[in-house]
Amino acid sequence: MTPADSAVVQRRNKSKYRLSYRSGLGAASRLCLTPALTTRRLSTSRKAPKINITNVSPEHVALLMKTEWQLSYVTPLYQFRHTQLKNYSRQLAAFLAAEKQQGLAVEVEGMQSSFTVCFSVLQGMVMTDDDPETVLIQIQSKPVFPKKNEPQKPVWSGWLTCINGNVEYLRSLPKDFTCLPLFCSSGPEAFTSVIKSWLQQNFDCCFGQLEISHTSLQWLMALWTNCHAESGIQHLKMIWTLPAEPPLQVTYMVEPQDAWVLWNSLRNSQKHPENTGDDPEEDNIDIGEVKRFVQALKSHFYRHFRLDLSAGRLSQVSTALGSAKCNGRIKMSNSRYMITTLMLLTECALFKMPI
Amino acid sequence: MEHTAHVQTKRSRGGFEFCLNDERSTTTQSLSSSNVDMATNANLSEPSDSEQSSLNDGNLSSQSSNRSLRVAEKERRKNEAEDPFVLALKYFADVEAGTPVCGNDEVERNLVLVEKVAYHKGLPPEAVSVMLEFAMSLRMGTTLCPRVLKCMIPATMVPQKAVVRAVVWLSVGKIPISTQVLFLKWVLTMFDLIDGKEQLRAIYGFIFSFITDENLCPFICHLLYLLTRKENVRVYRVRKLLELQSKLGRQPFLLHLLSLYKVFCPELVTLSIPSRMRSGFRNHSLPWKSTLIRMVKRNDSQVASSISLALSVKDKAGSRKRKHNHLQIPALHSVVNKPAQADPSSIRKVVPLLQLNSFAQLLENMHHVELPAQMGSLLGSSVALQYLDCVQDESALLRLNFWLGYALHEEFLFCDGVTHNSEESLQFLNKLLSTQHFLQEGFSSSEVFLYKFLNIWDGSFLRPQILGLLSNIPVVPSSQIGQLLFQPLMQLFFTSSIFFKCGLIDCLNNMLLRWLTWHSVYALEDDLDISLNSHTSVNMTLSGFKDSVIELIHFVGRLASVGLQLEGCHTLLLSFVLDFYETVCDTFLKYGLPLVVMPPAGVFYPALLATDPVSVDRLAYIMYRYKVNLTSAKSQGTVAEQAFHISRQTFREFNHYIIIMVNCLWNSRMFQTSNLDMKLGEELLLRSKVPQCGARFSFIHHPAFMSYAIDFHQRCWPGRKDVDLDSIKDPKSWNWYLEYLFTQGWDGLQQFVQSNVSWKTAAEVRCPDVPSSQES
Repeated sequence: MTPADSAVVQRRNKSKYRLSYRSGLGAASRLCLTPALTTRRLSTSRKAPKINITNVSPEHVALLMKTEWQLSYVTPLYQFRHTQLKNYSRQLAAFLAAEKQQGLAVEVEGMQSSFTVCFSVLQGMVMTDDDPETVLIQIQSKPVFPKKNEPQKPVWSGWLTCINGNVEYLRSLPKDFTCLPLFCSSGPEAFTSVIKSWLQQNFDCCFGQLEISHTSLQWLMALWTNCHAESGIQHLKMIWTLPAEPPLQVTYMVEPQDAWVLWNSLRNSQKHPENTGDDPEEDNIDIGEVKRFVQALKSHFYRHFRLDLSAGRLSQVSTALGSAKCNGRIKMSNSRYMITTLMLLTECALFKMPI
Repeated sequence: MEHTAHVQTKRSRGGFEFCLNDERSTTTQSLSSSNVDMATNANLSEPSDSEQSSLNDGNLSSQSSNRSLRVAEKERRKNEAEDPFVLALKYFADVEAGTPVCGNDEVERNLVLVEKVAYHKGLPPEAVSVMLEFAMSLRMGTTLCPRVLKCMIPATMVPQKAVVRAVVWLSVGKIPISTQVLFLKWVLTMFDLIDGKEQLRAIYGFIFSFITDENLCPFICHLLYLLTRKENVRVYRVRKLLELQSKLGRQPFLLHLLSLYKVFCPELVTLSIPSRMRSGFRNHSLPWKSTLIRMVKRNDSQVASSISLALSVKDKAGSRKRKHNHLQIPALHSVVNKPAQADPSSIRKVVPLLQLNSFAQLLENMHHVELPAQMGSLLGSSVALQYLDCVQDESALLRLNFWLGYALHEEFLFCDGVTHNSEESLQFLNKLLSTQHFLQEGFSSSEVFLYKFLNIWDGSFLRPQILGLLSNIPVVPSSQIGQLLFQPLMQLFFTSSIFFKCGLIDCLNNMLLRWLTWHSVYALEDDLDISLNSHTSVNMTLSGFKDSVIELIHFVGRLASVGLQLEGCHTLLLSFVLDFYETVCDTFLKYGLPLVVMPPAGVFYPALLATDPVSVDRLAYIMYRYKVNLTSAKSQGTVAEQAFHISRQTFREFNHYIIIMVNCLWNSRMFQTSNLDMKLGEELLLRSKVPQCGARFSFIHHPAFMSYAIDFHQRCWPGRKDVDLDSIKDPKSWNWYLEYLFTQGWDGLQQFVQSNVSWKTAAEVRCPDVPSSQES
């Protein structure tokens, strides 16, 4: 044996075949979490929105309705405790005060802040046991000279949620992490950015803009239309942006009845005979149906105006049940269908996760 | 002495604690008078001795060795008893309180003496003690005090005890404010020269009490800033500072002290410092600094303070505002909501990473380092990276990965339409690369990012950085390597310039090197097919690893074959390809991976028939290493159990290449190899009308070596007009020619010839020693 040979043997004796790969997630999961490859694709099939959220208190639900939320995705929160919300409220209040008066230190314990911050849990806003509870943050301004019984004025609110998040993903995270990937905020931008930076500093998370993609908008369109029978959608309004010079914006309104008939005809033609007797609760909507629905609407438009909408992008969808814009703004007007919408948005947010 | 001082300081803290809620007047007053008593009662005639003992208290072990030194010291002192400087010091130590200054020539003379020594070579520690004591006790009134302070230039260091005593004198209240300020400035300037800080820290509360004095406040804040430890940060101190803040407004000194408090106890105080205030404490233009520096220069002694240990954590360049600053590395903050721990004393001990400035400090505090609130901030700090390298904290790594992945995704993937800020991107990626090189490993988030980014990359944007990151990718399972890596890379390779091709081959070479190194470090030998035993639950077997390596080598073989063809066997590209095969040919001996893969014909022939001697030489070296590896594998196969099977096909390919090379370069029978892939018809060769076509690529006629042959010819037969290279074929001149070639630095050729051809300088018969015997 040459000296080189013995060196090899020695080396192999000494050490273990240990992977010191710098990832918290093992490499086994490291590749299956690559969205290009696996599970974390957007679903191609969804349950029709028939799920009622009975276990959430109506006051809480009312807080989320009728407000237009700006969406963001959030990477998992580190060391977030649902039991520490009181502390968080105090710290955030102090942080807000400190940010407001740049260069002036603020004591965390003493409450001289002009804002009241309230962290609270929206009990029951979950789909599975793996979903962490939703957290609501409200900020109210204290009047300088408070009168009796005068309610504080809400200035900003936002919430972190996870509805039916990918179980595989949620379980792959270590215990220290809480995954609430969807962040909805409403209020002045200045507040949003301060609160985001507080959350970033305290839970080592990152915020990114969450747009609602073309496909997601089509999904919402179909999901909402599907509900017409139970609660009228009043109208189906789409705004298309076409890449013309100058840019062309097309507002396309469909009568609710027409949309419903069109949707129904597509649904019925797809239904297998053995499925017709099924419980409507089990009803699943397929991405194929959604595409056909949109295609039918497009071709109708083409027949009348000789303008092919396929060239453009859907930038906004609205019905009486809610409205959604491609820049990540959403409004939900009917609590019955809120959960389905949030499931879709949670999926989009998880899709954006860097790992 | 030591003991009493400690008790005193304890009492003084207690006193302050009490005064905070009350007025600080009487208690402090009485307390300080007791201190004065202590000071005057102390044996002032021999201050140096007490100094010495206090110094030695810390290290008992060295005391015995110091004893003999002290004896010698005493001896020396006796001799110096008549030294006027010593006498002057003695005067200042013994002078009665209330001695008049005016018209006192003795004081003047002694002071001038001390000043002379001070400005010339600095005062020894005991002299500092004596003079400080003299000045601060105001034994001769207030007029001399500033003058003495101004000449307090230590030669080596300042005894801690002297400073503590002087601070105690401060509270007597008779010293004029300007002198008090001067003293504090002196302490701040000499801070790094004070021989210990423990006693000063012990009277933290006492020092803190001076903060209420408006004139002293800035300097006290600075001193406290230098002294503060986590245990010093208390709610009532925070309140006091905030109270002062409301009185004095936004003063930078208060803010800096408060921001340090925030570092230790973010749960008590919060603030955001505007960028214009971030500069730090004002460096007072101090009278001592220049003298001190001058003296240090003259004495040529190393003063610790002159060496800045601090590693800069903050990147000043990154502070520029940007709309989308995903790439900004977060600043170091300490954690606000600490996880509850059972043992409160362990929380006390925790040291925020922010407070560690050197590797030595890191080592000291290794077991109670507190990670920062945002792991991304580690990327900028080498101390932190050293720590990260030691602890395998999964959550910490995951946090870092989330941040890093987020930054990369937002900047390069989700930014549709927004033009890249390439300067910032460049800096960021360079930082990431240097971090990965420091850790000698890639981050999983950058890996995941690359898999996506390769699909949209144009191959030129930040090419060196992206390829650098790519070469850090850890082993990819062979089942996925094609889809993740090869597909996008193939597209890029065939549609890009020669420079990209070279860059990519180089990158894949580095990747292979990394994988092989990883294997050679972590391989376990018991079993050929072992699972990776790791806390990250990776299931990669040795055979799986081998499959991945084989896939990679074959992939590069394909790329290289086609690439060389596309680029007309570009020398540069060929060189990078040969680099790669230099790695491949040594996988067994150098990295202990039982694997031998031969290069494809598309690489072999371009190298063999290259027009530059470098490529041929390197090919010869590679073939030589293949032979060494194969021979060693074979001999090990018969000796040890851990034999690995090398397929007959590999041996056959190898033998085939060797025969071709020997026939071509040595035997001038290039086209007579009746083997395998390449066979040219006789008629075709005849039709080319090249005479003796078999000899065209021998060492003499090979285009790469022709110039050497001509040179050799001219040296051998300088008189000959017509060059007849065939005359070198003569056995004698052939040997000379080869030796001449080998002296030109073609070591690869030499090794190849010596291992494959039974060539003796005197031998006439040249026959190839083809290792066909290996194919048993």
